[in-house]
Amino acid sequence: MMNSNSRLDTKDLQRVFLRSFTLEWSWNYERMGSMGFAYAMAPIINKLYSKKEDRVKALQRHLEFFNTTPHVSTLIMGVATALEEKNSSEENFDAKTISNIKISLMGPLAGLGDSIFWGTIRIIATGVGTSLALQGNILGPILFLLIFNIPHVILRYYLMMEGYKVGTQLLGDFEKKGIMDSITYGAAVLGLTIVGAMTADMVYINTGVTFGVGEFSSTLQSVLDGIMPKLLPLGATFGIYALLRKNVPVLYILLGITVIGILGSYFGILVP
Amino acid sequence: MLTESILVGLVALGATFEWFLGTSLISRPIILGPIIGLLFGDLQTGIILGATLELVFLGSISIGAAIPPDVISGSILATAFAIKSGQGTEVALTLALPIATLMLVIKNALFVFVYPLWIRLADRYAENGDVKGVEFTHLAAGFFTGSVPMFLFVTISYYLGSGVMEQFLNTIPEFVKTGLQIATGMLPALGFAVLMTMILSKNVVSFYFLGFILSAYLKLPILAIAVIAGIIVHVIVSNPLRISMKGGNDDEF
Repeated sequence: MMNSNSRLDTKDLQRVFLRSFTLEWSWNYERMGSMGFAYAMAPIINKLYSKKEDRVKALQRHLEFFNTTPHVSTLIMGVATALEEKNSSEENFDAKTISNIKISLMGPLAGLGDSIFWGTIRIIATGVGTSLALQGNILGPILFLLIFNIPHVILRYYLMMEGYKVGTQLLGDFEKKGIMDSITYGAAVLGLTIVGAMTADMVYINTGVTFGVGEFSSTLQSVLDGIMPKLLPLGATFGIYALLRKNVPVLYILLGITVIGILGSYFGILVP
Repeated sequence: MLTESILVGLVALGATFEWFLGTSLISRPIILGPIIGLLFGDLQTGIILGATLELVFLGSISIGAAIPPDVISGSILATAFAIKSGQGTEVALTLALPIATLMLVIKNALFVFVYPLWIRLADRYAENGDVKGVEFTHLAAGFFTGSVPMFLFVTISYYLGSGVMEQFLNTIPEFVKTGLQIATGMLPALGFAVLMTMILSKNVVSFYFLGFILSAYLKLPILAIAVIAGIIVHVIVSNPLRISMKGGNDDEF
């Protein structure tokens, strides 16, 4: 299945597969699975890049925000592995495409993965497991784990291999004129669209300010929603983006978020 | 009592390895119940309590006043209290509730104050091309900010008992608890802003707003939004009149 001129072998892909199990180990609200993703890609980065500046860039792009259903995350890791391999051998490969393709895939994949694993397999496992366990049967918890994890591990492995194949095929026509431009452009469009959608979907800021009295009272939140829903998350994201552009240290921004959260809560300006 | 507390804490420590082992559901009440049961010499009760709590946390049955917000500490302590005292699940859940609420406050504080420092450390290692350093940061962050606090908290809670923990919970002002919750809701904005400094360029910036509008106004699932964006890309790319579409160049926004 590997290209004859491939620098990676099945063992390398298996390493990423094994490390993918730790994706959510350092999960947090800021960048979610970013460190886990970089950890999974580390063997690939080590093997493909010997120059320091290449490693710096590869580590940085895999330490960006990442979130998807963990059980199917290997699909993206497989594609990313193929892209990194291409990036390491092609001079004029635009590495931003790797970030963009990761972002384009993570949102839609989470939609599919969540409904398969959280919405279906887990419900079946819980149904079978609890009905036995409520009678005191030890098979309950055992079947619970097996029903969930057998399809989980099989799919996780399959998607790693399949993701790599898809990624390699995607770039197979690299030399054909125009193909790479289309992929680079398409990935940039898709990636940014998904980031926009995630801003509305995953950032939560609500105000509790009310004005007027009695019948005529109204909440500021409903006024803002009338202008545009999720206006505060949009404003906050662009506000922080502007601060980063001005090289304001991230720790100050973090401190600001904390202070705004606690003071906002104290004065009732912000509500969860 | 101290040994017992540490053993209960170790079960909680083990449960956090769910996120080291592929989010494989080993931290669910249906698994933790039997383990605590085994520890207290009553496997049978542990299995039944675990299953009951599993349904409580799933929201499919309700016992008592409310669902404890932290699953691991909530289900471990509820099972332990129930077996130890011989009282019903309802009493045990009521005892576990303030502890699991306090654990959630602590977790939010760790998300706001500690995880960001690990992220900065990983960034610093990345700047030096230090792959090992990034790997270490990931492993250490999960262990010292996820597993260790869970172990300490469950051990101390079990040792001191529900009453003391409830008193402690009540000493934290309400606005601090909600304030931390509000801050965790804002944190992803920072993650996205950092991401945008990497990928935003003038000629595609409008698509950010397309995605935002489709989600904010139309509440479309991300998959649908991706398909729409894919169609637009296809239309542009297959248009013979296209002029230039250098997507990812370094145009600063």
